[in-house]
Amino acid sequence: MAGLVLKGIAKSFGPVEVLRGIDLEVANGEFVVFVGPSGCGKSTLLRVIAGLEEVTSGTILIDGQDVTAERAAERGLAMVFQSYALYPHMSVYRNIAFALENMRLPREEIEARVRRAATMLRLTDYLDRKPGALSGGQRQRVAIGRAVVRDPKIFLFDEPLSNLDAELRVATRKELAGLHAEIGGTMIYVTHDQVEAMTLANRIVVLNKGRIEQVGTPLELYNRPANLFVAGFIGSPRMNLISGRVGPDGHFEMPGGALAQSGPFLPAGLAPGAEITLGIRPEHVLPAGGEAPDAILTVDLVEQLGSESYLYGTLPGGAALTLRSPLEDPARRGESLPVRFERHRLHVFDAAGLALRP
Amino acid sequence: MSETGPPPRAIPRESLASRLIQAVAGLLDRPMAWIQRAVGGRGMAYVFLAPNILFFGLFVFLPIGINMAMSLTGGTNLFLSERPFVGTDHYRSLMQCGSYLDPASCREDHFWKGVSNTLKFTLFQMVAMVGTALVTALVLNRKIRGRGFFRAVYFFPVLLSPVVVALIWKWILQRDGLLNGAITLVGGEKILFFVEPGWAMFWAVFVSVWAHMGFYTLILLAGLQAIPADLYEAAEMDGTKPMRVLTRITLPLLWPNLVVVLVLVLIKAVQTFDEVFVLTGGGPGTATLMVVQYIYETAFANQVQNFGLAAAASMLLGAVLFALTMLQLWIARRKAA
Repeated sequence: MAGLVLKGIAKSFGPVEVLRGIDLEVANGEFVVFVGPSGCGKSTLLRVIAGLEEVTSGTILIDGQDVTAERAAERGLAMVFQSYALYPHMSVYRNIAFALENMRLPREEIEARVRRAATMLRLTDYLDRKPGALSGGQRQRVAIGRAVVRDPKIFLFDEPLSNLDAELRVATRKELAGLHAEIGGTMIYVTHDQVEAMTLANRIVVLNKGRIEQVGTPLELYNRPANLFVAGFIGSPRMNLISGRVGPDGHFEMPGGALAQSGPFLPAGLAPGAEITLGIRPEHVLPAGGEAPDAILTVDLVEQLGSESYLYGTLPGGAALTLRSPLEDPARRGESLPVRFERHRLHVFDAAGLALRP
Repeated sequence: MSETGPPPRAIPRESLASRLIQAVAGLLDRPMAWIQRAVGGRGMAYVFLAPNILFFGLFVFLPIGINMAMSLTGGTNLFLSERPFVGTDHYRSLMQCGSYLDPASCREDHFWKGVSNTLKFTLFQMVAMVGTALVTALVLNRKIRGRGFFRAVYFFPVLLSPVVVALIWKWILQRDGLLNGAITLVGGEKILFFVEPGWAMFWAVFVSVWAHMGFYTLILLAGLQAIPADLYEAAEMDGTKPMRVLTRITLPLLWPNLVVVLVLVLIKAVQTFDEVFVLTGGGPGTATLMVVQYIYETAFANQVQNFGLAAAASMLLGAVLFALTMLQLWIARRKAA
C-alpha cells in the first residue's frame, strides 16, 4: 500500500475554480476522509487523485512517484463509485473479475482472487447473479469487491453509502472499518456525512470552497476546530456560536448579557472592544442548578431522543443556543432555564473566524 | 361535457377564446348526454373510439379485405362483383418455380427477381445502415467540436422526401452528372452507374443509407447516452482498453437498441420502393427491381393490369412484414420487461 502526496493541486472548470492550492500528505495504510458541504470540491479532489480529472496545476505523488500526467489506469488505484457503477449485463463474478481479465492474469489466479474477495465480502452465494438482482447493500459489497480484488495502491471511495438506507449505512460503515482493519490499505473516502467521517477516519480533511480548512484526527477536529467553519461543520447538533466583543473589564460581552471570565477562556492580549465569537458545544452547556448562571435560556423546542434530550432556545440578546441534557424531560417549551457554560470547553474565534487559544 | 362538473380552472373565464370553446362544447352537451343515456357509461368508451376504428376500418382493414378478395379473383376489372373467382391460382402461379434459387425458372420470374433483389438489398442495406449508424452515433456521442452541428447535419436527409433524395442523387450519378464531372476532371473515365447492375445496386443501397441513417443514428445515440458515464469511468479505473470498452461494455448495453434498429431497418428495407424506383427505375433490366415495384407494375403500370396477381404478391409480402413486425413487438416487449 502506498502513500499519497498532493502539492498545490488546483482545478478549474472554465472560470470556476473548484480546487485551490490543496496540499496534503496521506501516509501508508491511513484511512483519510474528505468531508465538506456540497460543492466544496471533495469529489473533484478524489477524481483528480483517481486520474478521472486532470489537474489545472499541482503535483500528485503516489509512493513518491509523480503520477500527475498518468492516466487513471496507470496509477494503480481502485475506486468505489457513489452509484456503484457495476456493469449491469455482467454477473457478480464477471464484475469482480473484469479488471483482472484486463490485466490478462491467468484464469486460475483470477478465480482464486475473486473467490477470496467474495468470501471476505459474503458474496459467494451471489456470484452468478446480475447486479439488478441484488439489494443495495449487496451491490455495494460487489463494488468494494471489484476494488479489493485488484489489490490497489490506494482505495478511493466516493460517497459509497449515500444510496443506502440508514440502517444499512450503519452496518456497511462497520464493514468498511472492518475491511480497513483486515487489509490495512490506504483509503481515501469522500462523504458529506460527518458521522461517517468521525467514525471511519484516522484523519479527516475538512474542505470548504475548494480549500482545506483543517486536517486532523476526528477528536482533534471536534475538540480543537481551527476556525469557525470547522467548528460549525463538525458535530451534530452543531456548536453554538455566539458573536460578541471583549468588554473593558476583560469579560465577554454578548447581546443581552456578559460572561464573566471566571476561567481563562479568553486568550491573553485581546484588546477591549475586539470582535470575537464564542463557541460552545451543546453538551457543554449545563443547567446552572444552584450555581450562578451565565445566561437565561428561553426554551423554544425540546427534542427527546430517549437516551438524551436537546433543548433549542434563545438567549436574551436573540442568539440561538442548543443544549444537550441527559435528562428525559429537562424543561418545557417556553420555560426559562438558567444555564452555565463549561469554561474550559469554550472556543474563541477572532473576527476573521480563526480559533484563538488561551 | 358533464353538466355537473366544475368549469376547467386553467382557462380564464374572461378570455374570448375560452368563451368560444365553452360555447362550442356547450353545443355538444345535449347530444352527448343523449348518447350516454342510450349506450350507457361503458358504451361511451366505444363511442369515443369509434372515429378511430372507423378510420382504420375504412383505410386499413377494408383495403386488406379487398386486397385479399382481389388475390382470389381474376380478370382485369377493378370491381369485385365483375371479377371471376379463381381460388389460389395467383398464389400458385407466383409460387411455381423450377428452382427458387433461379428466378428465371419461375413462372413469375420478375416476382422472384424482385424477391431476390429485395433480399440482396435488405442484406447489404442492413449491414451498411446499422454499421454506419453505429459508427456515426459512437462518434457523435464523443465530445467532439461542433457536435450539435454534425448531429443536425446527419439528421437532415431524414426530413427530405424519398423522391427528392433520389432525384438529387440521380442528378449526381447520371452519365453527365456531378460525380462523373468530377471523375473526368481528374482524368478518369465516366462510369455508367445506372447501366452496370453492380453499380446500380450499390447506389440504391448507398442512397437509402444516406437518406435514413440519421434516424437510426438518433435511436442509437439515445441508447448510448442512456449508458451511465460512471460505467466508463469504472472501466477506465479498471484499465480497460478502448476496443474492449466497446465490445464488453458499450455494445452489450446498446444491444437492445441495436436489435430495435436492426428490425426497423429490415422492415423498411423489405418495403423499399420509392427511392430505388426514382433512382434506377428498377434497372438496368431488372437488376434493382424490388418486390414492391413488381407489385406496382403488375397492378398499375403494365399494359395488362393484373390486379389479382399483384394482390396475391402483396399478401405474401404482407405476411412477411407481419412476421417481422411481430418480431419487433416481441423484442420491444422483452426489452420493456
